[in-house]
Amino acid sequence: MVRIVDMPTIGRGFISDLEMIEFESPAWTAPVPASERRVAIVSTAAVSRRGEKPFSWLARDYRAINKNDRDLVMTHVAAEYDRTAWQQDLNAIMPLDRLEELAQSGEIDSVAETHYAFMGAANPRDMEKSAKEVIGRMQEEGVNTVFLAPV
Amino acid sequence: MCVLAYYFEAAGFSTVLVGFVREHIEALEPPRALWLDFPMGRPFGKPNDPAYQAKVIRAALKLFNASSGPVVVDFPDIIPVKDGRMGYAIPPEYVFTTEEIGDIDVLVEEVQSEIQALLPAYESARTFRGRTTVGASELAINELAPYIAEFVKGNKPKSPRKGVTAIPLLKLVVEDLNAYYTEARTHRDNIDDFELLGTWFWEESKAGKLIMWLEAVSLESDDKVLRQIVDMSLITPRFWSNGPLPGTSASGW
Repeated sequence: MVRIVDMPTIGRGFISDLEMIEFESPAWTAPVPASERRVAIVSTAAVSRRGEKPFSWLARDYRAINKNDRDLVMTHVAAEYDRTAWQQDLNAIMPLDRLEELAQSGEIDSVAETHYAFMGAANPRDMEKSAKEVIGRMQEEGVNTVFLAPV
Repeated sequence: MCVLAYYFEAAGFSTVLVGFVREHIEALEPPRALWLDFPMGRPFGKPNDPAYQAKVIRAALKLFNASSGPVVVDFPDIIPVKDGRMGYAIPPEYVFTTEEIGDIDVLVEEVQSEIQALLPAYESARTFRGRTTVGASELAINELAPYIAEFVKGNKPKSPRKGVTAIPLLKLVVEDLNAYYTEARTHRDNIDDFELLGTWFWEESKAGKLIMWLEAVSLESDDKVLRQIVDMSLITPRFWSNGPLPGTSASGW
């Protein structure tokens, strides 16, 4: 079982020194029934469509990805995580095909048309403005459920 | 990511996340979280294994059954990692000094030959998968090694890409070169082992050697940004090493 204490020196130091943000009160939204869930993925893998502007190293912005987009590249600043999984199969980091299957089998209602990518290395406080934009877009699209995934 | 979950949940969405660092999940208390004891870079476990991916997703969606939170649940499976490291790391003792750098033009030719030899496997992989992740830099495959070589020679070439300056482009070029090799190899040999692939690319291939030379030159560069991104393991993967790159303090972190 890998806990921070088990990690090698440099990575352990960096990860254990990250600032932990405290919120005044925890957020909680009661979920809609499974049959009504319209799901969007929010990834912090800094993926974008080929030809789009690469993410800057501490990017506060985001990229929108259509559920049918497969011609994606990754411009995440970090080099410490495995990139060979997503090279082989996008579903290893953004499971758009798997969610579509769950929609077809009735385990969720539907998959959103648009999904979102952020740069995981950036300070999340700096992402609030972008998050608000994403919230507006998801509301317009009738999304009620968000699946967040790191890389 | 836990903070993004908070923003979305507070705006009226129900959220669930999967995450790798349990202590952070415990500290940040997102509404619903599934902890994965997996290496980083594969939050849905295994590429080309739809059943496994669906198992992770279903375990996460199950957290919506909780009537109150925050909820943290451990996914029952473990994907083991080597020595607690969450990704491949170059051995700390594997370094080049600038005195050890040989004829860069010869090395570039050797890299171009490697690239050529891998081309059928790369093209086959691209066709089979219907996609490639190579191309973030937008340089052609045969332009990657010469671009890196300019930095090894002590030059700072003008970025050919509008809107991306020379050093950020260098990072994308390095990643494109790495992705070209690993996309080809994973397909050709039907392997999914990032430790093996990391060892092969960084410690055995000529392309890896080219980037190791780049690392050696960058550490002595007058360019602060170049020096810093190498010190911070943003060019060569040393984040999970058991010590800093010799000659540095890992002070960037």
